[in-house]
Amino acid sequence: MIRKTTLKKHENLKGWLLSSPYLIFILVFWGYPFVWLVVLSFTKWNFMTPKKFIGIENFVKLFSNPFFWTLTWNTFKFMCYFIPMVLVFSITLAVAFTKAKKFKAFLAISFLVANVSSGVAYSIVFSQLFSSNGPLNRFLYNSFGFIIPWFTNPNWAMFSIAIMVTWKFLGYYALIFMAGLQMIPKELYEAADLDGANKRTRFFKITLPLLNPSIVMIMVLAISLSFGIFTEPYMITGGGPLNGTQTFLLAIYTDAFERYRAGYAASLSIIAASMSFAIIYATRKIIEREVDFS
Amino acid sequence: MKKKAGLLFLAVVMIIAIVGFSETITLTLWTAPNPNQNLFWKTLLPQWAKTHPNIKIKQSQIPAARSSEEAILTAIASNRQPDICTNIFSGFAAELVSAGQLVPLDSFSGFKALIKTRDMQDVIKSWKLKGHYYVMPIYDNPILVWWRKSMLEKAGFTKPPRTYSELYALSKKITIPHKRYAFKVFGGQSWWDRWWDFMTLYYAASEGKPYIDVKRNKAVFDNEYGKDVASFVYTMFKKHYTTVAFGQHPFFKGAVAGAIKGPWSIPSAKSQFPKVLKDVIIAPPLVPDNYPTDKPVYTFADAKGMIIFKSCKHKDAAWEFMKWVFSNPEHDLLWLKLTQEPPTREDLLTNPLFANYLKTHPLLAQYAKYVKYTVPPALSPKTIDIQQSLTNNFMEPLMYLTVTPQEAVKNAVKAIDSLLSQ
Repeated sequence: MIRKTTLKKHENLKGWLLSSPYLIFILVFWGYPFVWLVVLSFTKWNFMTPKKFIGIENFVKLFSNPFFWTLTWNTFKFMCYFIPMVLVFSITLAVAFTKAKKFKAFLAISFLVANVSSGVAYSIVFSQLFSSNGPLNRFLYNSFGFIIPWFTNPNWAMFSIAIMVTWKFLGYYALIFMAGLQMIPKELYEAADLDGANKRTRFFKITLPLLNPSIVMIMVLAISLSFGIFTEPYMITGGGPLNGTQTFLLAIYTDAFERYRAGYAASLSIIAASMSFAIIYATRKIIEREVDFS
Repeated sequence: MKKKAGLLFLAVVMIIAIVGFSETITLTLWTAPNPNQNLFWKTLLPQWAKTHPNIKIKQSQIPAARSSEEAILTAIASNRQPDICTNIFSGFAAELVSAGQLVPLDSFSGFKALIKTRDMQDVIKSWKLKGHYYVMPIYDNPILVWWRKSMLEKAGFTKPPRTYSELYALSKKITIPHKRYAFKVFGGQSWWDRWWDFMTLYYAASEGKPYIDVKRNKAVFDNEYGKDVASFVYTMFKKHYTTVAFGQHPFFKGAVAGAIKGPWSIPSAKSQFPKVLKDVIIAPPLVPDNYPTDKPVYTFADAKGMIIFKSCKHKDAAWEFMKWVFSNPEHDLLWLKLTQEPPTREDLLTNPLFANYLKTHPLLAQYAKYVKYTVPPALSPKTIDIQQSLTNNFMEPLMYLTVTPQEAVKNAVKAIDSLLSQ
């Protein structure tokens, strides 16, 4: 009995020791900044003068500022453009990957290159490509007599950024879907074939429902990504035109490091994080299903 | 015995004195993260070390961040700021002064003499903050317009357009929709881009008059000059003589015949577009049609300076260093040669030391000519808010033709007054 207890204690200690580097990492690089962020959100601080406790004033100011609602609307708009676009294209790409007879891995890695490319570098490429006198618009103007105001029209600018972000994450998400597709047992399709199901029925009745875990995962990733868009608007549009591409992260950065309102920026980041958490939670509640592959 | 004790005492005093006097002071100096400026400091500092062995300068570039201001702010927040720092623009200096971070340089002996020695009695006036001088301007980049000579000549222009109407006439001839335009009006979306459009054009139109009355905390550009600038921007966009998004390097790729640029573009053009550089003419910013031909054209100054932080423990030593850097014209010549940015002095064209160098560098000489007609941005701690408001309430509504020029001026003044009153 004594020996069993000692062994249990020993195992317990080993467990703590093994997980301690990660726990220390979390405490230092996540816990401390998080507590500091919460404290900061209740203060007025410009980095230089002593912090002043102001209660919930930052939050009151935030909700009464029309710019906060512009940020919320822009993020919502981005999600509406980005999520359907990335879901449809990455599922299509994943299906195409699985159908490929040769060079499957090569194809998958080729699409993943976009994901590892520098945000600054591809922002410059897209700004050139989509500029008013860029190759795309020149072709449209010469062939059809019109241009698309990719980054210069307030309604188009966010859509253009969504296209760029879709291009970046398409390959990565397709790989996740590819893994999901490979999990689906082939017998199910064979059984459906015997029952006379066509391709459409097979896709909507077998593939899509059984891809649910992957879809949920992509949705979670895509929603949190939507609240963290920064490089593209920072590099290309600066939040314009007419504030059409202002995002939460851009505003947090501007408020903290350009306007020296660290407390206000902290409160904005807390609200943005809470909103993203709430949307992710609701999405999971709505679309997540228990999947049984047997 | 007494004699021995006396000698011993003397020896101890001497040792203390020697140790005390030879104690090395170390000052930290942060300089702009710019390779040419870094080369300047790397060349200059060994000379200081030779003549001042007791004051050691530990130089490093401002830590990597999205902006120098961000790096400096985070350093202040964590009490890691340097003793001396360069790359400080007037608006950020105003912010640092209002937070009580800077040492007034005019509190040191020899300040007035240094201003006289460096020949900057007039230019320094625009750096006065709350009755004191906190920043020693290092360089003063006048913002001028670059024109493609060959494109102008093809359009029948022997010299660059001077007024708005002359530019409209050029635009009529040169514009090919979505391919080629006469002039890039919009500087960009960032707050600092208003330096390259609104401020350059406003200072040019108004003979350098302020757009903000810093003492009364009021926007003061609701006048004929503000309206002229607004009408110019509006007309250029309404008639499709310019566009918003040009992509990279429109001037060098021939997408525009003219663009507002600073002298830092000379070395970068030399390395990237040497052929185009031979086709460049530099002219002052465009002015309204009724602007007198015999009057000089003022322009915006992209000027940065050096400051001493209040937290510096050896302020006199820091001032000694600053005095040494700026009292020798040879140092300014070295700066000019290495960075191609005009040092803040009024004798660039008259002092043979600079004039001889500028004779062989005609493009840079053009910039040097305008140093005395430059005006830095308003010394307001709310510079960024003001300039962001100019983007949202002045430039963008005019570009998208959502307001009339008069409305744009009124709305922008109202918005800026409101934020200045907070």
